[in-house]
Amino acid sequence: MDSDHEAYILLLLSDSNLPTGSFVASAGLESYVTHGFFTDLAPTAGQVTAPPPDKMVYTVNFLRDSLSSYARSALPFVLDAHVVVEDALKKPQAAPEDWLDSTLRRLVELDELYEATTLNHVARRASRNQGVALLTLFSKGFSEPQLPLHLHRPGPLAPQPEASAAKLADRLKLLVRREETHGHLPICWGVLTAALQLSSGADDSYPLFDAFSSYTQPERSQYLHLFLQARSLLSSSVRLNTIGPYAAQQLLLHAVRPVVDFEMWRCKRLTTASVTSQHSSPKTQDEDALLGPAMTWPLGEILAARHDLQHSRIFNS
Amino acid sequence: MAIHHIQPGHGRIVVHNDGYSNHFSELSSSYPLKLLSAGTPPRNVSMVYALTYGGGLASGDHTETVIEVHDGARLAMFSQGSTKVSKARPGHPRRSAPAKSNPEPAGTASQKLAVHVASGGAFFLLADPVTCFRDARYHRTQVVHLARDSSVVLLDWMTSGRKASSEEWEFTSYQSRVDVYVDGRRIAEENMLVEGPYSFCTAQEAAKGFHVSGGALRSRCERTKPYSCYATVILYGELVHETLRRLSVARHNASSPRLSWSMSSICEGRGCIVKIGAEETEDVRVWLRQALSELEGVLGVDVYRQAFR
Repeated sequence: MDSDHEAYILLLLSDSNLPTGSFVASAGLESYVTHGFFTDLAPTAGQVTAPPPDKMVYTVNFLRDSLSSYARSALPFVLDAHVVVEDALKKPQAAPEDWLDSTLRRLVELDELYEATTLNHVARRASRNQGVALLTLFSKGFSEPQLPLHLHRPGPLAPQPEASAAKLADRLKLLVRREETHGHLPICWGVLTAALQLSSGADDSYPLFDAFSSYTQPERSQYLHLFLQARSLLSSSVRLNTIGPYAAQQLLLHAVRPVVDFEMWRCKRLTTASVTSQHSSPKTQDEDALLGPAMTWPLGEILAARHDLQHSRIFNS
Repeated sequence: MAIHHIQPGHGRIVVHNDGYSNHFSELSSSYPLKLLSAGTPPRNVSMVYALTYGGGLASGDHTETVIEVHDGARLAMFSQGSTKVSKARPGHPRRSAPAKSNPEPAGTASQKLAVHVASGGAFFLLADPVTCFRDARYHRTQVVHLARDSSVVLLDWMTSGRKASSEEWEFTSYQSRVDVYVDGRRIAEENMLVEGPYSFCTAQEAAKGFHVSGGALRSRCERTKPYSCYATVILYGELVHETLRRLSVARHNASSPRLSWSMSSICEGRGCIVKIGAEETEDVRVWLRQALSELEGVLGVDVYRQAFR
């Protein structure tokens, strides 16, 4: 896929109208606000003169704390799922069925692990819903439409995702429908971006997304995932009326990028290898345990899991 | 029976039940770890205190305990006061054998616990919280293998530090990992990590990240306030069924401003994860004593009183 097409795909994926169901998820923000964490918790005597922080400040703080824990726990899964599919699509496919089965086995293993590491039932539910929505989006939204001939614009056609990639996504979706696996968001995101072959190589130029130029293919997938998580949080803020739409736009432009950049630096190299490779020696297991997915924000975890206990709520998570 | 050579800091507990009462077929430990059986529990319950000499973990300490619970026996494990982890001092002589691989940064105090609970048996880890001092590094791994009809309660909690001397969130790194398997299938993997902002990138990258984020990183104190004590309890099995039922009703009550808690069920409702955050350690202790009080019937009143004193 050339860089023009990749840029176009990126535009598509970052569209806020993308039907992924993320508009019903607030990733714990609603519960956080309901529990009173957007008001000054402990005004101390020394601070009385200072004005209380406004909602913008609380929003940015939530965004940073939430993204930092999410990056640490989900990015390793995005990376691994992306690499599994990317590698599988590169290999010559001598026995297509075996190839498909082994790739799926690996993805299901990752999915099972994400289920076991996500101990908060609200987050688990939201992640499953959004994951399967991505798979549906891929099979329904990225295949070529049946249009009357005169509507086809002459010129370069959008490259179709490879047939094998489409088959893989369909099989995964079938497993989710049969409840044989969960279909968690980070895994499905990795599958989707690898199947769409985001980028063709490191030496291409990306006029549209300059920030991406230093990233490798799976890293772009991770970066976009974090960005979308942040954007979704900000649109939840607007719907919760904690900040206005212009303020959300301001934050998206000025506050989100440094946060996403920073979390990328910290987390882009983390993998799930420690927890999946049961046969590795105890030595490597110990080493990797420090580099595997982890939960880093216990406060956010408690409040997010209390989501369903709110008397009224507009989000699902 | 051959006597195993025990490495420094290692311990082993094997409990059987002969149909009349529990007995230890093995209870051994080596400096700086000490495992003591104490108390007069009911016949099918055993109690073990896990202690370390000096009342805590020094820089580079490593303890490794293997526990087997057989024949429907019940084993409760306690500590004597909170586990205090002192400042990491790389290069200082260590008093225990290093972890086999020693992958942790120098000076990390680490603890490993591997538990196997056979069918019908139960294990209760009701130790006091871990308190890490300034510049301490602590890393704990707990792996629990259960059969479908065994039961477990794993309490894992930490405090922000020596709050009385206003040393809060000053430690370098705290990591606690708990893996629970039922019949070989992983049902929960909790990996909680509380550390300073830079631990997983190079200094150069950190500097760059610091630059782009405008030089204002969120401190752990800001991210966790107003709470300074966090606990996770993993419960599974028939013996905690009543506790689970009661907690799932109780969670609808408003949480107090001093304490918040949540509950998520796992393994098709046969177990759950409870997370608690509170301003003071004592708040959590009081809450736990009340929330887990059904265990009095399982362990006996005298044994249960040893926890949350």
